[in-house]
Amino acid sequence: MRKIKKVFKAGSLGVCLIFFSLFSQAKQMTIERNSAGGYTFFVKGRPFLIKGIIYNPTPIGSGYDYDLFSDPTKPWIFDGKLMKEAGINTVRIYSCRGADLRKVKKFIRELYKKYKIYTIIGDWLGLWDRPCPNYADKEFRQYTKKKVLEIVKALKDEEGILMWVLGNENNYTFSGKIAFWTSPEIEEIPDLYERVRKRAQIYYSFVDEIAGEIKKIDPYHPVALGNGEVSMLDVAAKVCKNIDVIAVISYRGKRFGNLFENIRYLFDKPVLVSEFGCDSYDAYKDKEDQDVQAEYIKFQWEDILKNTTFKNEKGTCIGGTLFEWNDEWWKHNEGYTSDWSVHNRQAGWSNGSYYFDIKAKDNLNMNEEWFGIVGLSKEKNEYGINKRAPKKSYYLLKEIFLKN
Amino acid sequence: MKKLFIGFLVLSVGIGITAAQEKTFYIYKDKNNPSNHFIPSGWMGDYGDLKFNDQCTQEKASGSTSIKITYTAKKSQGQGWAGIYWQSSANNWGQRQSGYDLTGFNKLVFKAKGENGGEVITKIKVGGIRRNAQGELVTYPDSLEVDYGPIKLTDEWQEFYINLAGKDLSYVNGGFCIVFNADQAQKEQVIYLDDVYFTYDPNLKEEVKKTNFPFYVYADADSLDNHFCPSGWMPATAAQDLKLYTNWKENPLSGSSCIRIEYTNKSGTRWAGIYWQNPPNNWGSIPNAGFDLRGATKLTFWAKGERGGEIINEFKVGGISSGEYPDSDSASIGPVQLTKEWKKYEIDLRGKDLSYIIGGFCWATNIDVNDPHGIIFYLDEIKFEK
Repeated sequence: MRKIKKVFKAGSLGVCLIFFSLFSQAKQMTIERNSAGGYTFFVKGRPFLIKGIIYNPTPIGSGYDYDLFSDPTKPWIFDGKLMKEAGINTVRIYSCRGADLRKVKKFIRELYKKYKIYTIIGDWLGLWDRPCPNYADKEFRQYTKKKVLEIVKALKDEEGILMWVLGNENNYTFSGKIAFWTSPEIEEIPDLYERVRKRAQIYYSFVDEIAGEIKKIDPYHPVALGNGEVSMLDVAAKVCKNIDVIAVISYRGKRFGNLFENIRYLFDKPVLVSEFGCDSYDAYKDKEDQDVQAEYIKFQWEDILKNTTFKNEKGTCIGGTLFEWNDEWWKHNEGYTSDWSVHNRQAGWSNGSYYFDIKAKDNLNMNEEWFGIVGLSKEKNEYGINKRAPKKSYYLLKEIFLKN
Repeated sequence: MKKLFIGFLVLSVGIGITAAQEKTFYIYKDKNNPSNHFIPSGWMGDYGDLKFNDQCTQEKASGSTSIKITYTAKKSQGQGWAGIYWQSSANNWGQRQSGYDLTGFNKLVFKAKGENGGEVITKIKVGGIRRNAQGELVTYPDSLEVDYGPIKLTDEWQEFYINLAGKDLSYVNGGFCIVFNADQAQKEQVIYLDDVYFTYDPNLKEEVKKTNFPFYVYADADSLDNHFCPSGWMPATAAQDLKLYTNWKENPLSGSSCIRIEYTNKSGTRWAGIYWQNPPNNWGSIPNAGFDLRGATKLTFWAKGERGGEIINEFKVGGISSGEYPDSDSASIGPVQLTKEWKKYEIDLRGKDLSYIIGGFCWATNIDVNDPHGIIFYLDEIKFEK
């Protein structure tokens, strides 16, 4: 990896700005830090605000095994147009592991060539694998690293690639909330909390190792660490030397509170809010509520914007990728294929920050199948895909994005 | 945080302030006095624990009568606290426009004493009828909300005042409010109030908020330094699974008491926890309720298990978010495996936004990591430190 430090003097303003260029290729992606501690993401030399959306356009009736890139209907051709009209400039893909990488390339190229929409490629790093990933296991690490590097090698030269994201909420495995893993070395530690921190150290070291390898292959795109909220970022800060961006998943309701300042304190890196949003179903009133979704997303985006250098010299945020483009009908009962054709109204989890419907039964208020800003209909359009019904939040985002 | 300066002055019985010489607006002077305003109609919390007599002749600071309030601390309604609002019209919780414009006054004065000395008034409030039980703004909300307390009374009349300088008194429906807490009272107590009125003091300056550290969540059961209330039992079934003793006298770490918690899985929910909230049961819907704890760098507490080995998944500060007025941040540690002896723990608060904290402390655990029959553990000396 090449690192260049540049010093610019803005004499006319009487202000001396010090920029640390994290990536050298002027025509590609750079991130610069100003003297106030703010970060700006540059694409081809121009400041770039990531106005992104998470894209996983599972058709009605399909489920977790849907292969977007092999879909002959190419839904991105139709969706990309709608996205472009709304000012969306980036899609985030959770993973393309197992997909035909030639087809992934084509997807990235078509979105970029047709609509100038960039793609962020992520990898779960085995989070949802069965058996559960074990980040202390040497073989698993080698295998996972190899797979990620294959993807990077295959896609890195696409002009539409914006960034790599490693992991998502894998830090929730440290305490065993999901996908518990351990090792004899960890189990020997008497203090339980220290065991959690040891897992964090092992995992983040592994992510850093992959990031370092990516940089050898592709020094031109930033590598982000996906993290659920801020937990254990202090450990990451100690072991990660090759991470350029924190891609944080945060569902804090209307606003992000102290998120950006806290990350600055824990691990001072540019922040991409890589997952945020609000569902459009009121679990308490048991009816769709597009107004509330639009209201929450409006406040969330305002908070993101407020924490970028476009609005605030100290801003550390370089944008966000909203969860998500369209409703996914398979998510409530993901193992029950008959249910994949039903738009379930039952909520699957609870989050008090979305307090408008927290009084729903058992406080279950988050309707996983209703997070899209575009609804689906069983009827197909001329492209052979489920008809899209943009929600109020789509039009609201369009208004905001085109203004900014 | 609203930490109002209060001045008090021990008065000899019979030497009162002459109302005629000052601009005054009385809430209570004497029973049936024509200058009285507001009605003590808003009974709250364990209302069954309260006995109210506003024509007491046994004790009086001036005139012919005083108000006698007996608080039994029996938790009749299971709330652990009780209070009375003096409202501008009977039972007006903001639905009628009967409040007073008290612009021009900057001080609320009252006199109080206990039957024996040592009685505790947890809080005195002026204003604050702003939200209904659903957390929605009422039609005619008070224009101010000022809290003061706690106060430990003596067996002599004392005069207290609450500084209202700089506050908006343009609409006052809840003119006066008194709140008691069962933990602080410890037992039945009798208190007297007299000569409650608004006035104007040209020398009074607007209060500057300041938080002093250490800032206690829990020192001892009856400590006036305590803040927050262990009211947030989680989940809804927690009452079946938890027993909380805030006044456990056996082997506290320091002082006279500690907290004992017994957790079982009777409900089958498999997890439980308690939030210490301000005010009680505030899940984020109440405005102006958070303490400003900026300056604290850590929350420290001591804990031990009955047998040793008990696992608490999480100890936490902040993180309540179910409303328009959530905690400004959160921080946690865990899991923690308790030892049989008292051990000190610390939650690092550096880098956190502590400007508005309503959930001062929280613990949560589940049965799957513990003895299936349940666990018993103890807490003491929970405090924010610089």
